[in-house]
Amino acid sequence: MRKENNLSHLISHISNLVKMARKLLLEHINVPGINTLDVYRQHGGYRSVEKALKTMSPDAIVEEVKTSGLRGRGGAGFPTGMKWSFLAKPEGKERYLVCNADESEPGTFKDRYLMTYIPHALIEGMIVSSFALGARTSYIYVRGEMMPQIRILEKAIAEAKNAGFLGKNILGTGYDLELYVQPGGGAYICGEETALIESLEGKRGNPRIKPPFPAISGVWACPTVVNNVETIAAVVPIINDGGEEYAKIGIGRSTGTKLISASGNLNKPGVYEIDLGVPVEEFIYSDEYCGGIANGKRLKAVVAGGSSVPILPANLSLKTVNGESRLMSYESLSDGGFQSGSMLGSGGFIAFDEDQCIVRNTWNFARFYHHESCGQCSPCREGTGWMEKVLHRLEYGHGKMSDIDLLVDVARKIEGNTICPLGDAAAWPVASAIRHFRDEFEWHVTNPKEAMDRNYGLAKYADPLPKLEEVSQ
Amino acid sequence: MSEKVKVTIDGITIDVDPGTSILNAARQIGGDIVPPAMCYYSKLEGSGGKCRTCLVKVSKGSEKDPRPMPKLVASCRTGVMDGMEVQNITSPEVIEARKGVVEILLINHPLDCPVCDQAGECHLQDLSYEHGVANTRYEFERRTFERIDIGDKIQLHMTRCILCYRCVYVADQLTDGRQHGILGRGDASEISTYIEKAIDNDFSGNVIDVCPVGALTDRTFRFKNRVWFTKPVDAHRDCPTCKGKVTLWYKGEEVLRVTGRKDQFGEVEDFICNTCRFETKNTSDWVIEGPRQIAHTSVISANHYEMLPLPVIKQNQALIEANKIEFDRASKI
Amino acid sequence: MLSVTEQKDIEFSSSLISQFDEIVTRYPAGKQKAGLLPILHLVQAEYGWVSPEAMDKVAAYLEIKPIEVYEVATFYTMFFLRPQGKFVLEVCRTGPCCLVGAEKIMDHIEKTLGVKEGEVTADGKFSWRGVECLAACGMAPVLQIGPEYTFYENLTEQSVDQLINDLKNKI
Repeated sequence: MRKENNLSHLISHISNLVKMARKLLLEHINVPGINTLDVYRQHGGYRSVEKALKTMSPDAIVEEVKTSGLRGRGGAGFPTGMKWSFLAKPEGKERYLVCNADESEPGTFKDRYLMTYIPHALIEGMIVSSFALGARTSYIYVRGEMMPQIRILEKAIAEAKNAGFLGKNILGTGYDLELYVQPGGGAYICGEETALIESLEGKRGNPRIKPPFPAISGVWACPTVVNNVETIAAVVPIINDGGEEYAKIGIGRSTGTKLISASGNLNKPGVYEIDLGVPVEEFIYSDEYCGGIANGKRLKAVVAGGSSVPILPANLSLKTVNGESRLMSYESLSDGGFQSGSMLGSGGFIAFDEDQCIVRNTWNFARFYHHESCGQCSPCREGTGWMEKVLHRLEYGHGKMSDIDLLVDVARKIEGNTICPLGDAAAWPVASAIRHFRDEFEWHVTNPKEAMDRNYGLAKYADPLPKLEEVSQ
Repeated sequence: MSEKVKVTIDGITIDVDPGTSILNAARQIGGDIVPPAMCYYSKLEGSGGKCRTCLVKVSKGSEKDPRPMPKLVASCRTGVMDGMEVQNITSPEVIEARKGVVEILLINHPLDCPVCDQAGECHLQDLSYEHGVANTRYEFERRTFERIDIGDKIQLHMTRCILCYRCVYVADQLTDGRQHGILGRGDASEISTYIEKAIDNDFSGNVIDVCPVGALTDRTFRFKNRVWFTKPVDAHRDCPTCKGKVTLWYKGEEVLRVTGRKDQFGEVEDFICNTCRFETKNTSDWVIEGPRQIAHTSVISANHYEMLPLPVIKQNQALIEANKIEFDRASKI
Repeated sequence: MLSVTEQKDIEFSSSLISQFDEIVTRYPAGKQKAGLLPILHLVQAEYGWVSPEAMDKVAAYLEIKPIEVYEVATFYTMFFLRPQGKFVLEVCRTGPCCLVGAEKIMDHIEKTLGVKEGEVTADGKFSWRGVECLAACGMAPVLQIGPEYTFYENLTEQSVDQLINDLKNKI
């Protein structure tokens, strides 16, 4: 076990975790002291601020981001440049950029990683992006549990301010920007952009009913852009090297690099920066990335983009129904729709080995969404709890065969009928688990005692657990 | 004023002001095509969007952009566009989704209508008659709370609450010091004052009128009578605090309760003050205007009024098809 | 139903108030309510929990209604509405952590501390609870301890024993 603030230990840990060909965000992550402004600048840090503020117009930056094809890295994958160009610019009203660092999608931990080890990458991106959007005050909304990261960011902001990259008249260009870190209070729903805005305003994290969208009326009814940490950080290489260069990386409409958070039963879990388009098979099994399934076991299933995206069985994770190799890209992962595909989402890649119980995991995820539902709209408030209770019953050997179809039906009643995407996020894992692993649900009904006793591993710890030392290296 | 916009709901076209919501456009048409609303309240700013019973299908976005909307939308919070085409009761998808919402609203709702003062004028009761199924598939313990008296006039029975937030908006928009709110989160949310407090304000009684279910009820009327045995009469008085336009609910010569005047959509025409509501229960205090017209959908009207007005939908063959049962019932009467 | 625990006679220290003063400068004039979450974190760091009395004081400071503070404090899971142990072990209980044994770790903590989830040990030093995803799935299983939310990763039963021992000696 390590404490997070033991830096030297950490960096050796990281160098084990992060080995890859091309890096735009994590290139210098192994450099000692890269979390400080001086070392960060020695490695080319804050070049994009100089370039953007001194030689580019805000509109030119937006165009550059459009050219890059960058898509939102928080999960939805909406083109960032387009989102920026929607921002209303009424006279006499402030505009705000808010960074969404409320990372809490199960399976995703890339933002924590980035903010911990290379905080200036985010701050540099915030300055350039704020300039592009004409924001004079910007906020980084960090989930409250990440108090160490809040401290790291606050320190980095102070350093940047001292060096003249923040505050009044930045680099003598006449541009003023104040940047603040805002802590959350423990609510997954605040990752939804309008809930985040509500929370930033000091209210309950109830998502707003759209329209109006934040680009018209966001924080304090002012035009607002909310972007994920990784999205903002990706603006830095786009400005440094040009949008066209960035767009050359990746495949099709999935341009650039993406941070993938790999977890579950893998030999080398961790954060990897990949070129979009790497085959899933290579990502799981090559030594460059996850190094295969832990303890010599076989792959059973993959959740490729954070807990809310549909789970896929091993065969569909590696190949599409057409027999094509499945790639880590927005398009390839969603190939086949929800019948046989999934989504890249936030890049939270969770691998399940052959001993894992899909029913138990589905119940676990359902419990998560039940716990995190804000309770504002009825299908999500009541439906998530209902699904959790039925799944609990199935998992603990009291289920009925009709429960399986009941779950499918309840999931269908939630999906698409809620204010925000949390309803969909709660429904998809349940619907997809039943779609692909119905036999396992039925087994829980027909063999309740065995399901209780064995539970594919974890409930009674009948199967040997992966050795933790090996997992952690 | 800018030009009117044209919107078609279930085949019936109407011109409305720009910015009108689909729900309000449907209300202007009237009849069976009006989506039900459990949380939206036209007189409370910001209300709506939460219960999801008013979901409709937008099959054509507008004249300019005719693409259909990808999901069902909450009609109470979606503005009409010129040339928009909306399906409500003509869309099986909408009916199915609404059925789902009703089932979900009912899973934690107690089946205590026989002892609930709201019975007979409960929107959830109406909704479940129309869209519900006889059996529930929910086999778990229902969520329960203890009854709380918030002040000596209002009782909060949280178990029945569907979290429409209307009472919160009332307190925010009608009174100067909101003391209750939504506490907790998810299905553990509740209306509460947290620390026990009496809600004491001239207009606090309106939370009773806006509550779509029996979660907030009038303690002065508690168990006095079933609403369908009482006779509603419109009356007014010269009130220094509110407009003083109310409905008196009589049993014999006695005024059992006083409420705001509710329109056919269950919304009060004017909010009334607590003095009118709780303290003024003698006929001599009031100028009587005459019997209150009650919406034909209400059980209250069943014993008092002649026959159901024929729905607007009679003009349209598609709607007649979609409403066979309604028509049969209407023609039988 | 929410039960309410009271705290008698609290007064915010001047250093706490000066931290509040700094926080509200981050927002435009009149939008000081935005400082609510950071201020509640400070209050919890000071007292270990947020009492109704403390919330009333925060409401007065921010010039908002007390109910607005209650609504927020009860919505977010990080705020404790009643006193906790000096150290609250918050173990991630979501999917990826469970794949590598988080449930086992929670059982072990329950056995070691001898109290159930949410309860406080007799000496007042410890309480524990399962929390939802802490965004550290690659280092699972993980737990955190407030108020600085220090992280402990790749937990094993041995490392948890070690941690609890260290904390016992710390007091």
